[in-house]
Amino acid sequence: MSKGKGRKRAISAGSIIAQVAMILGAIIMVAPILWMISTSLKQPTAVLTPQPHWVPNPPTLENFAGLFTKSEEFPVVRWFINSLFISCTVTLLVLLVTSTAAYAFARLQFKGREVLFMVVVATMIIPGQVILIPVFLIVQKLGWFNTYLGLIIPGLASAFGVFLLRQFFMTIPVELEEAAYVDGAGPFTVYSRVILPVAKPALATLAIFTFIGAWNEFVWPLIITNDISMRTLPVGLMIFQGRYSLEYGTVMAAAVLCSLPMVVAFLIFQKRITEGIALTGIKG
Amino acid sequence: MAFVVCGCGRNGESTRAAGPVDVVFWNGFTGPDGTTMERIVRSFNHDHPNIRVKMQIIPWATYYDKLTLGLAYGGAPDVFILHVNRFPEYAYYNSLNCTDDLVAKGGLDANDFVQVAWKAGLWHGKRYAVPLDCHPIGLYYNVDLFKKAGIVDQNGNALPPVNLAEFLQDAKKLTKDTNGDGRPDQWGFAFTWLRTNSYTFLGQFGTGLLDKDSRRADINSSQAKKAMGLMADLVTKYKVCPSPEGQDAWMGFQTGKVAMAMEGVYMLASLEDQKGLHFAGAVCPMFGKKHAVWAGSHLMVMPRSITSEKRKAAWEFITYLSDHSIEWAKGGQVPVRKSILDSAEFKKLPVQYQFSKELPYVVYEPPVVPYNQIVPFADAAFEAVLMHVKPANDALDECARRVDKVMNRQ
Amino acid sequence: MKKRNSNLTAAMFLLPYGILFTVFVLIPVFYGFFVSLHKWHILSTAPQFVGLTNYRDILSDDLFRVAFLRTAYFVVMTAPLGNMLSLLLAVGLMQDFKGTPVYKVAFYMPVVMTVSVVAVMWRWLYSTEFGMLNYYLGCFAHFGHAVVPGLVSAQSAHVPWLSNPGTAQRAIALVSIWWGAGGNMLIYLAGLKAVPRELLEAAEVDGAGPLQRFWAVTWPMLRPTTLFCMVMSVISASQVFGQTYMLTGGGPYYSTLTVVLYVYQQGFGLYQLGYASAVAYVLFVAVFMFTLLQFKLLAVKR
Repeated sequence: MSKGKGRKRAISAGSIIAQVAMILGAIIMVAPILWMISTSLKQPTAVLTPQPHWVPNPPTLENFAGLFTKSEEFPVVRWFINSLFISCTVTLLVLLVTSTAAYAFARLQFKGREVLFMVVVATMIIPGQVILIPVFLIVQKLGWFNTYLGLIIPGLASAFGVFLLRQFFMTIPVELEEAAYVDGAGPFTVYSRVILPVAKPALATLAIFTFIGAWNEFVWPLIITNDISMRTLPVGLMIFQGRYSLEYGTVMAAAVLCSLPMVVAFLIFQKRITEGIALTGIKG
Repeated sequence: MAFVVCGCGRNGESTRAAGPVDVVFWNGFTGPDGTTMERIVRSFNHDHPNIRVKMQIIPWATYYDKLTLGLAYGGAPDVFILHVNRFPEYAYYNSLNCTDDLVAKGGLDANDFVQVAWKAGLWHGKRYAVPLDCHPIGLYYNVDLFKKAGIVDQNGNALPPVNLAEFLQDAKKLTKDTNGDGRPDQWGFAFTWLRTNSYTFLGQFGTGLLDKDSRRADINSSQAKKAMGLMADLVTKYKVCPSPEGQDAWMGFQTGKVAMAMEGVYMLASLEDQKGLHFAGAVCPMFGKKHAVWAGSHLMVMPRSITSEKRKAAWEFITYLSDHSIEWAKGGQVPVRKSILDSAEFKKLPVQYQFSKELPYVVYEPPVVPYNQIVPFADAAFEAVLMHVKPANDALDECARRVDKVMNRQ
Repeated sequence: MKKRNSNLTAAMFLLPYGILFTVFVLIPVFYGFFVSLHKWHILSTAPQFVGLTNYRDILSDDLFRVAFLRTAYFVVMTAPLGNMLSLLLAVGLMQDFKGTPVYKVAFYMPVVMTVSVVAVMWRWLYSTEFGMLNYYLGCFAHFGHAVVPGLVSAQSAHVPWLSNPGTAQRAIALVSIWWGAGGNMLIYLAGLKAVPRELLEAAEVDGAGPLQRFWAVTWPMLRPTTLFCMVMSVISASQVFGQTYMLTGGGPYYSTLTVVLYVYQQGFGLYQLGYASAVAYVLFVAVFMFTLLQFKLLAVKR
């Protein structure tokens, strides 16, 4: 149902209805988020009113300030740093390990290449909770329970990353590599000097998705950490809500703070994200 | 003093290390309970310069998960609280430290303890826990509403009901529709925590979640169906109690909209802050054939793997807590030391003293290892019956089926 | 490339990923099955081998059946509806109205929220006394009553969304649809954009209206995209956890109990790791079968 650019844009009733529907749809989609923000800026007494007011009157930042006074019991800043540190580390390491593996699958000849790749791809449909408990036991045996290692390492073996990068690497013209080999470069140099720079778009896409995925991880950090100071932001927010469940203003403020980084990241990297999703969809 | 050979292997005495010994103490006492315990911990640390107790309060909702993972994988505390209904699980899996030798050496007189609580710390004849308190539910009643309704004794004091007949009579008088909209604005009674209220009714009818041997479900027995039926009738037949769905019954009592409620002694602090609320405590009425009320207990335990040096310090802390449980009682608890229960200081605490009269007939939840697995079935059944989600008989039969399945797996 | 080095080179390149994959993906798949053959409490130092007893218990576990059915119901409620919504939104974006970039951001914004934020946000919205949803429902009821007095009663809506077994599951389904619509929307958008314009224009010349063009040209070409989106939707809906864990905890009265939540409750709430593993494996087989079925049904004819 796509109208070509050359087509006259008819101001038809259908077009108007469609546009109104779009506006309404956009408002409805965003309304819960706006309501969350609005509640976070209200004074505690103004929150529990039978008739909701959209614009806080008067608006106040006391809910946000309150988050920091509660920070001994609920170290929001520490949670944020944990999430940031873990997401960044996971992203870097995932890029590293999946790109090397993807290069091997795409360009190097070795025995069992196709079979191994099939095995990797097959694991993509394994639901996460099947390996949740065994990985938990393995991590505990390694002594990584309640540590950063436990939070970071288990999630690095991203089959999706290997899949995505291999597909991309295979589209790189072989001549580029052959030229490098002729110049006497070894496989590692070819990988780092030739392949990686060309693959920047795919790497960037993978980086963004990995970062978002790591940031939003919920079940794993929930079970692998036990100290309040080791929690990540999503888990911390849940714990925070458990304690202050009826203080909606405070809880909304915490929720707003939690979403801010992702929203900012999304607004900045919009194009990459939409392109990347399109990439996966088409190839899938 | 009898010497108990427990075979639990006393750890050898180690030389005293320099500096105070740190004792990490975990519990779930949020709110006013926590403030009371903080005070007691502070005074202990002040009186014992060579021991430093560090308390960590973890809300009960996540307490047991954190505790279990800590015990299994590292990071367990040195002293912690267990509810009496969770004790069997931890004792069974060998997570607790045997304290028979410490009791035998003196410091705690077994005869000074209320027996039902003292026995609760035993597992297969050996001692692993010391009870800190016993917290039964009792009847809280609104003195002003009683006086207004004319339910008083010859001195003009509010007179709480002691049996079902009096209870129904009083509750009917206390349920009023003041603005004529067809829905009562004041209720004679309201169900708070369904679990404790239900266990009380079940106990008074001579039954419970499990049978007397704690082997099979008894919750669908004819007596149990009678008990639960009576509870449901309070809502639908006698109409003296609102349906529990979406109701904050305790808030209703706090704000004077509910005249009677059965809740734990530990809720006392939340009433004392309410301005304008004149309340009192009494033993629960006898709705059934015999006296029985639900009670819980907080048990003090140490992990099995505690070092001998910390063990000594932790034991001193445990005995201190027990010896000073009058302070704990003041926060809204019933101590289990007979000497304290008989003291004038305790008798001055009105609600606690009244509730302590129930000690001879308190009923704990069944002390079975998979208790944590079966209690959700009971909770769901209580909810289903009282909120009319399912016909009562179906809900109780379903619960019994599920409970039996778990019990048979043991 | 020198052949005799290539196996060694490949091994070096594969090593980091290979180790991680083996330890944290491959071995756990089998270790998980191993665990499921035991009675394994978190605190037990010597888990007891019980063979297939856990699986036998699952067959007679009516709560597992409840969780399984609830999950299936949840998938059926959210995957088709969610995908239809995503497609609809994508079609709307394709019209290229003024303000489409803003619409795109608005529709995608929920996806950016993390699961606890979504749960916290909707718990507040669903509040029986003070929730915005009940307020607006009440407004519509009043409005409807004013317009058609006999048909609609003018009562403020007091729907206890999350504490009523009848409404709780629908409430969570709504959250899931709201949360995920934007994600698939972008994939459908890419799929729509890939439809060759010539085909559409040819159809238009032949006199086909917009709806006919969609069914005859666009829909068949969208098949791979649709298959992909539906498969991913089913897989992700079958694994719903965060919303049920935080909004209802599986209640009220087991009405929102889903399989992953059941696995978590068994494993980390009741500390029964063996039984939880078995439940996870049964779910795995079920999802796998269903995915194969979907491929068969929606596969592109060659």
